[in-house]
Amino acid sequence: MSDKKIGNLKMEKQKNNIENKIMDKVLSGEVKMKPKWYFIMGSITSFVGLVGMIIGAIFLTNLTFFFIRKQGPGTGRINVMLDSFPLWVPILAIALVILGIWMLKKYDFSYKKNFMVVVLTVVTAILLSGLIIDFLGLNEIWSKRGPMKRFYMEGTGCMEKACPKKINNR
Amino acid sequence: MENIETKTDEEIVELIRNENKELYGQIIKRYQDKLIRYAEYIIGDHDKASDAVQESFIKAYINLNGFDVKKKFSSWIYRIVHNEAINLIDKNKKIVKLDPDIDFDSGVNIEDSYIKEELVSRAHNCLETMDINYREPLSLYYIENKSYEEISDILRIPMGTVAVRINRAKIILKKICQTKK
Repeated sequence: MSDKKIGNLKMEKQKNNIENKIMDKVLSGEVKMKPKWYFIMGSITSFVGLVGMIIGAIFLTNLTFFFIRKQGPGTGRINVMLDSFPLWVPILAIALVILGIWMLKKYDFSYKKNFMVVVLTVVTAILLSGLIIDFLGLNEIWSKRGPMKRFYMEGTGCMEKACPKKINNR
Repeated sequence: MENIETKTDEEIVELIRNENKELYGQIIKRYQDKLIRYAEYIIGDHDKASDAVQESFIKAYINLNGFDVKKKFSSWIYRIVHNEAINLIDKNKKIVKLDPDIDFDSGVNIEDSYIKEELVSRAHNCLETMDINYREPLSLYYIENKSYEEISDILRIPMGTVAVRINRAKIILKKICQTKK
């Protein structure tokens, strides 16, 4: 028998082996399909996570704008501002944006588009949303009542009801 | 079993999920040759390619309910093999570097027939030295006859990048094959 024939027989045997090995595992139940709900839950969780991250990033961006406006360079006390500025807010905002972009990359559409454009669009949308909330004065309302109040107090150097007037003086 | 040969991959997948696990054998039959050949182009070793394909079929079965039957099954299974092969390469730390002397701006218009001929006849020798980023789309396009869109789905890169890589790969291949002659 020629080398070529032996090679072909060997390959044929190997092919059958692969099929048999896999089908044995499938039919014996050693290998099982993950249920449909596993994938549905995965999609829902990642979508909710993504939306949550974007909302969180918008909120923290807006909070950053709010603090800058309240203690900003206009006062001429940059060092004082830096000392009291809650740096965790912009850092967390940036971290959420990065995580959100990483999650976006997992979606099917992401590789079909120019990913730099997707990233720029997300970042611009978050910055614009933060600015619009600031422009509409929603953060002024949130700083006076509701569950967000304590976040707005922290960056202005006030905790709880210690200096609500200071916040109101723009 | 009514005329399973005429059913599309996606129809068979639907049947496997809901009625008959045994039909997975049909999927294996349809794809194993192509996938082993494809994996071999990436890994460069027949036995390792077979292992990668076997592992890929098992992973595909486990995740079969996650496959969207509105999409192409072939792109999905090729993607799984791609991931498996890349993982295997990473494990073996096989680094294939691109020849820095190769000039991409030669503007040479290389005949498709020439590339296909080279790939089929002396593919292994020439492809071995080519960077995987170029080797993979080239083999998918010429050997597996995949469209740019399918390659984009398998490699998860934009179609424009697929076109650029294939064009560069043609130039690289011609230079590599010529120096090996």
